[in-house]
Amino acid sequence: MTHECRSTFNGRRLAWHAGVALLSVLVGCLEGQFTALAADPVDFNRDIRPLLADNCFACHGFDEAARTTDLRLDTREGATADLGGYAALVPGKPDHSVLLERITTADDSVRMPPSDSHKKPLDREARATIRRWIQEGAVWGKHWAFEPPVADGIPDNAGHPVDHFVQTQLRTVDRDLASRAQTHTLARRLAFDLTGLPPAANDVQALGKHPSEADWSRWIDALLASPHFGERMAMWWLDGARYSDTDGFQGDAIRQNWPWRDWVVQAFNANMPFDEFTIQQFAGDLLPEATDEHRLATCFHRNHMHNGEGGRDPAESRVDYVLDRTNTMGTLWLGLTLGCTQCHDHKFDPISQRDYYSLTAYFNSIAEDGRAGGGAKPFLKYRSSLAQRAVDEAGEVVSDMQTRLDAVKANAEKQFDPTLDDMIAEAGNGFQPWHIVQPASLSTTEGTVLSADKDGIIRSNNSQKVQDDYLIEVPPNAIDRIGGIRLEVFADPEHHDAKYSYASTGEFILTNAKLRVRTPGTASVVDLPLARATAGVEGKGADTKYGKASGTLDDDPRTGWTTRTKPVEPVQVIVFELSEPLELGPEVALDVVLMQRSLAPRELIGRFRLAVTNQRGQAVRSLSPMPMERLAKAIAEQKAAEPDRDYALKDIPGDLRSQLLDQHLRDLDAWKVASERHATASRQLSEAKRAAGDLNVTVLAERDEPRKTHVLVRGVWNQNGEQVQRGVLPAVLETPPETVGTRLELANWIVSRSNPLTARVIVNHVWQLFFGAGLVRTPNDFGLQGEMPTHPRLLDWLAVDFMEHGWDLKHLIRQIVTSRTYQQDSGVTPELLDKDPENRWLARGARFRLPSWMIRDAALASSGLLNPALGGPPMFAYQPPGVWQDQFMGRFRYESTLGPAQYRRTIYTFWRRSSAPTFLFDSAMRRTCEVIPRRTNTPLHALTLLNDVTALEAARTLAEQGWVPDPVTEPELRLKKMFRTVLSRDPAEREFAVLWREYQEALEFYRHDSAAARAVTAVGQLPEVGSNRVSDIAAEMLIASMILNLDESITHE
Amino acid sequence: MSNRGFDPMDALNVTRRYFLGRGAGVGIGSMALNALMGEQTGAAGLAAELPHFAPTAKRVIFLTQSGGPSQIELYDHKPGLIKLAGKKLPDSVRKGQRLSDMTKGKPQLVMPAHSAFRQRGQSGATVSDWLPHIAGIADELCFVKSMVTDQINHAPAMTKFLTGHHLTGRPSMGSWFSYGLGSENRDLPDYLVLLSKMKRGSDQPLYDHYWGSGFLPSVYQGVKLRSAKDPVLYLNDPEGLPRQLRRGMLNGLNELNLIRHEQTGDPEIETRIQQYEMAYRMQASVPDLTDVSDEPESTFELYGSDSRRPGSYAANCILARRLAERGVRFIQLFHPDWDHHSRLRSWCTARCRDTDQASAALIKDLKQRGMLDETLVIWGGEFGRSVAGQGKWDSPEGGRDHHPCCFTIWMAGGGIRRGFSYGATDDYSYNAVVDPVHVRDLHATVLSLMGIEHERFSYRSQGLDFKLTGVEPARVVRDLIA
Repeated sequence: MTHECRSTFNGRRLAWHAGVALLSVLVGCLEGQFTALAADPVDFNRDIRPLLADNCFACHGFDEAARTTDLRLDTREGATADLGGYAALVPGKPDHSVLLERITTADDSVRMPPSDSHKKPLDREARATIRRWIQEGAVWGKHWAFEPPVADGIPDNAGHPVDHFVQTQLRTVDRDLASRAQTHTLARRLAFDLTGLPPAANDVQALGKHPSEADWSRWIDALLASPHFGERMAMWWLDGARYSDTDGFQGDAIRQNWPWRDWVVQAFNANMPFDEFTIQQFAGDLLPEATDEHRLATCFHRNHMHNGEGGRDPAESRVDYVLDRTNTMGTLWLGLTLGCTQCHDHKFDPISQRDYYSLTAYFNSIAEDGRAGGGAKPFLKYRSSLAQRAVDEAGEVVSDMQTRLDAVKANAEKQFDPTLDDMIAEAGNGFQPWHIVQPASLSTTEGTVLSADKDGIIRSNNSQKVQDDYLIEVPPNAIDRIGGIRLEVFADPEHHDAKYSYASTGEFILTNAKLRVRTPGTASVVDLPLARATAGVEGKGADTKYGKASGTLDDDPRTGWTTRTKPVEPVQVIVFELSEPLELGPEVALDVVLMQRSLAPRELIGRFRLAVTNQRGQAVRSLSPMPMERLAKAIAEQKAAEPDRDYALKDIPGDLRSQLLDQHLRDLDAWKVASERHATASRQLSEAKRAAGDLNVTVLAERDEPRKTHVLVRGVWNQNGEQVQRGVLPAVLETPPETVGTRLELANWIVSRSNPLTARVIVNHVWQLFFGAGLVRTPNDFGLQGEMPTHPRLLDWLAVDFMEHGWDLKHLIRQIVTSRTYQQDSGVTPELLDKDPENRWLARGARFRLPSWMIRDAALASSGLLNPALGGPPMFAYQPPGVWQDQFMGRFRYESTLGPAQYRRTIYTFWRRSSAPTFLFDSAMRRTCEVIPRRTNTPLHALTLLNDVTALEAARTLAEQGWVPDPVTEPELRLKKMFRTVLSRDPAEREFAVLWREYQEALEFYRHDSAAARAVTAVGQLPEVGSNRVSDIAAEMLIASMILNLDESITHE
Repeated sequence: MSNRGFDPMDALNVTRRYFLGRGAGVGIGSMALNALMGEQTGAAGLAAELPHFAPTAKRVIFLTQSGGPSQIELYDHKPGLIKLAGKKLPDSVRKGQRLSDMTKGKPQLVMPAHSAFRQRGQSGATVSDWLPHIAGIADELCFVKSMVTDQINHAPAMTKFLTGHHLTGRPSMGSWFSYGLGSENRDLPDYLVLLSKMKRGSDQPLYDHYWGSGFLPSVYQGVKLRSAKDPVLYLNDPEGLPRQLRRGMLNGLNELNLIRHEQTGDPEIETRIQQYEMAYRMQASVPDLTDVSDEPESTFELYGSDSRRPGSYAANCILARRLAERGVRFIQLFHPDWDHHSRLRSWCTARCRDTDQASAALIKDLKQRGMLDETLVIWGGEFGRSVAGQGKWDSPEGGRDHHPCCFTIWMAGGGIRRGFSYGATDDYSYNAVVDPVHVRDLHATVLSLMGIEHERFSYRSQGLDFKLTGVEPARVVRDLIA
């Protein structure tokens, strides 16, 4: 990513050329920050560097190209340089330091920042701090994050190391840690933080009122040992890794990288040391005796988007991928905004554009060519051991659905004979397959004149219009319902060459057919979806895209039906099947629209006729006789042969009977539901089977011939500058080039004990998971523009401890969550809120809304719906219909998973990159590496948690818990049980009063309206509620939904 | 800054009654209640600063034509091309301009416009016969014929056109306005997006980052109004849950949340209560918005017969006017499928028919309601199309490839100049040679019409101050302003 680095300093260039932008850092310091007390010496890293970085480095910093003068303020040498009898900084002598003068002067024309930079001048406090710093000798320091972390010694009696550092700082503001959170609150906090799931209410109860340290320790150990720990941690990692099940961009092809996701879960569960975790993902393929799992790990660096847009140069895409890997490494491991250096030297951090491209060289020789989808080599052929479970599960769903479908069919068959009798009666009365449309009105868009004769045959005049649309209004009494439409196109001697039109070719092209209906009481018209178009003859247009009947359904004038090139027939026929039959009524206005918008001018149908039928299914999918037509014929033949005998059921031939049954079934709602579900289940099973076979996972592999790497001028992919060799960042950790020549060596450099960044950055990520914000509030930027740590010594101590314990993540986590700091109550007083709104002091526990994925998982877990299976192919969690269709105009269809897989954890839900799951209302976008949680509070969240199918199913299932296995007879106890299940505590009396009041109101309503009760409980794929309890369940479901929506339920407290 | 007056709705009165009367022992003072009702949108810290000066436009309706409409067929009349038909595009014109992979390496042969042109109205603007209705209101419009972008593929170009940068991650224009100015309507989001419902599978998906808030908080992101049972995702309560029960349930929820607020002191809880209330109000305000049965027949006649079909571009134009009436700050329509690499004559005309009458009707409608003066309407896509034919230049099957060096947009209302054409391209409609207007200049100009000085409107993210107009110098095109 290129940054708007110049936006902050387009000010006037003065003698000093210091265009300066100031954001008043010191104002921020007043709230919740530990500022230098007057007695303390000024700390360069804490107090001065941020001021200089914000205000001066843009023009006087590391980026040589941006400097318009020789003056540099990012090094002490530069700042104190002799500028010809004066210097910006004269250590110990503020009054001789021109810098101070320039930021202090009242003269707008020379003051920094320049008045036309739209920025305010430095405030008094900032100026005073700088003055004091110069007075004290202008002591310089390397930026804190580039110095190796050092663990301060801790006094023996200091207690928990985390608390030691936090309390030391709290004392400077006369504060102490808050008391420990209540037992159930802390138990929940730990369960969410370590597994992403709420605790079982019984387990919390078993902890007792006042658990001992040992009890807590066991609680924590059990959570860390849970297989759900790996899933929880993986959600962090997947956001950083921009993991998705599709490519993104225009093609957005599906990938098969989910075995990598399982690899991550397993690595966390096995507590793989973080250095090894890193090495395998960077260079598993380069390890000696690399296994498939090692290679699989490298999928990390192939999770970026792939661009398959038509017209896109793959070479450009490939460069994008190389840069994406480099930037992701910078953000996730090093906490550096490397993207800044894509176009120029970093404005703030000592990283040159050359350094950047030397880093990209490690990723530039992958055996890839920039293509997407199936062309996105290199692939690893991989079989997942976790897929068979999905196959078994899907198989059971299919047999379940088959049983249900068979039952519906058997039931219908049992009762089919009376229906068949009706059919015989109907057919015996002379079945009419097609009803000719005698149009109620005729019109055209461009002015061709249409007229109909008494046989319903419509003629156009020889209008010579280039294109036109015919609108034929179908009279409301034409037929009771419409299942299909037939169009007959007639040849006529009046036409050119006695063919079908007045065009010089005599041909016609029907580009689109539409059925528009206006329903009573609305101003709207609706296009009825047509499922299929079937023509007797299909030819080829002069533009060969024309020909097929199906071309009339796609709303695309470049395709359409023609019979050109085929022998001229007196009549050509095309039949359209409606997706759902339309019931006609006196007020329903129906138009058939025949659009003729082809490239071939004047090929407009000259003579035609429309007919409609009430039949559906096979009857309107072919031009052969309809089943009812066959039946009518059979009856007539039988009557002719045996005039004395009535046609009987037994006379119906077997194949006709099954055709008629098929038509009958299509009208039964129960059959429609059962057959749709069966079809879904069958598709799921074949998907699962595919997933259990060989998969193509995108991984890293070096190409035989390494590519040359160049600095890209202004970051443009094909603007090669100077050639560079592989090399790491000297500003971070200087390393002899010969020891960092490979990707594997790069990985080793990243997790080197001497690397000052990685351990700090990772510790900060983990801290952020549990506190909602990191010790460094800019987890993506540990550079000069990032924030200073709120607790630098704590961060360093944890980082060193982490490395000394072999990069043991569970150890690190235990260090954090066993502290009093972590375990504090999260309540806040107005006074503390005022002083420290962002909890930078850590004088209270962290209270923040759970990530949206955790809210979904928690609702499933509390209600008992959760399917805890680990790993395997993705499933499709409920999503409102039409979301993918809206975006891709129907190219992709989203089908929610049927059966128990629906209730798997959110980590397993299919993630289409260009249309993230809708129920994750503020998740990471998974387009680029993201390490800052998105946490917003909007009405859309509220609507999701109120009305999403998962939320409703969870509410109903939670309500049913009061009834199974043993019904709790007292409704009060059922409400309390729901509350306890979700929140691990009993409701207070006044809380219960609210639940009870709303419950009573709802119960009264549903007792009087059991239809509403049935409707509200008919949700998702849950079976119908028995009628004896449906009103109770409906009322309790509303209360369950209320409980699941409580702020407390969706908040890390 | 928005001024959301105290305008208690029935729903909130019910809430008040619960809180003050039936509060089940919940001690809620009027302060807490006021906190629930005294909402604001827009960024609190900007309230004092914005607008920087008196705006001429209060809101924007952006008619986004996705895919790259052909300026050569629609607006940028080059009669001289007929003589050059089939000739190679001179290198002196092309100047090494990059081509997309679809026409790279193929001969660049001039293909004259497939459409016919006339001068329109008093202003004499050239508009193609393919757009008869827009031609009819040419005197209301301000054409910019010298638009320039620097992206040649759809997604980056559209991202640039809307966010000022070709990579994803920046806020869209509407999000910037939502952030800076908020909205006059407390029952609807500040920024609403409407997508045309098309039957044909489009080659260019409308990515949701086109209306995303980027690094701005997601409360500023565009909310998509869908043509579906749920116009906003999850808007409808389930069947069998009547409104009064939902009200009761929310009352209960609010009371319990306020108890929690009392216990924890977390101000986030107050915000949450407000958001649930806003959700409840949207459940009424959105259907009220999308139910057009109160529109007279004359509306549908004005916008054309397609406007009766929910989800059509024309129907969305009616909704845009209804949103404007309701004070929504930024309204953005997307009409896809303007990417006409082939068969311009049938394909491009189809998109013209979808959009022509309704676009013009919107302008007329706003004008007759006295709203055009304060509403800026923008019509345009992410880039233009090349003068060179794609496929055979002399076949009806010919089309055009993407072209970033020039394209045409038009604007109307909101303080923009009427009946005016700005800028010009060379004889090939290839390069913008007179008064080029880069995408960032357009952004600066639109901001200016809304009372915002683009240089002073920034947001800090990752330690840098980001602006809609980006790092390159951008200019407010004063000549476009009345």
